[in-house]
Amino acid sequence: MTPTNYSDLQLDALRELANIGSGTAGTALSQLLGRPVDISVPTAAALSLADAVESAGNPEDAVFAVVMPIFGDLEGDVLLMFPPADATTVCGLLGVDVTTEDGRSAIGEICNILGTSYVNALAGMTGLAVEPRPPATTFDMIGAIVASVLASRAEGSSVALMLDSELIVEGEACSLTFMLLPTHAGIGDLLERIGVA
Amino acid sequence: VSAAADISVRMGERAISRSETLVCFGLGSCIGLVLVDRRRRLAGMAHIMLPEPAHGEVPALVDELVGVGALRPRIEAVIVGGAKMFATASDALEIGVRNEEAVREALHGARIPLRAAITGGSRGRTMRVRFGDELAISVKEAGGIEEMIA
Repeated sequence: MTPTNYSDLQLDALRELANIGSGTAGTALSQLLGRPVDISVPTAAALSLADAVESAGNPEDAVFAVVMPIFGDLEGDVLLMFPPADATTVCGLLGVDVTTEDGRSAIGEICNILGTSYVNALAGMTGLAVEPRPPATTFDMIGAIVASVLASRAEGSSVALMLDSELIVEGEACSLTFMLLPTHAGIGDLLERIGVA
Repeated sequence: VSAAADISVRMGERAISRSETLVCFGLGSCIGLVLVDRRRRLAGMAHIMLPEPAHGEVPALVDELVGVGALRPRIEAVIVGGAKMFATASDALEIGVRNEEAVREALHGARIPLRAAITGGSRGRTMRVRFGDELAISVKEAGGIEEMIA
């Protein structure tokens, strides 16, 4: 792993933000599905781009993924990834078939709700104005998805900051990975607002 | 060639081989570039993420291949990737198209002929170079089967 240019204090503060964001998203998911949802302790890591892609999982494994670009005072992308079996379970709980257009739009809609509640929690805490854009959905290789999202915002930077949490639907073998990939400009403002710049 | 001996060329990396399989897993908007001297059974692979580095990666890979014995006029190229993974309204994710243009320009500038290109679209791809009876380059699209392309 590449050494980070963020201090432990900064990463701790970002992890705490991610914790609050994913807690809010977990509550939203729980209400949506009518099931309790557990939230893992988020990880915050500054990684080389290649390590960041690798940390997301086997690059050739297929997942449902939804990316929600965010603009405003905090720029970056929110990326949600469901392994196929887990997407099937979530769609099942909502009474739609994952292989249909309805299933796909249900996944997109879940991301929209989770991503928006996550981002709004961050905005509320930091006072940053954040504008989420409509999400885009795909079913493809993890490596291709994560690398393409990172590349679209890389701006010549060689380090990616990943805030990674997992939401686990209780009583179902179902979890989804949630990543906030802020740009460096975005992260600078965020650190300033929470007093650890 | 056993799977354990494969060389995985990760984002931003490049590698040369004369026996171990070279592989770029999960190319999305990135470009997998392979340069080969078939007669000498030499191949180089680069996993290119952004347009700007592409201009340097092509000559660097040519030099490395020549450095291990490739004959420059015999070197030819194959490219894979440059997809648009998400159908968003944002232009930011059009990076795949720009990556492909940059790599094509750099190959043209280095006078390296492009033998095959499997690019664009919206699916992720894995690219491999195997050293069997003949040097063979393949692509496997997400959810698809491996196909020989050169």
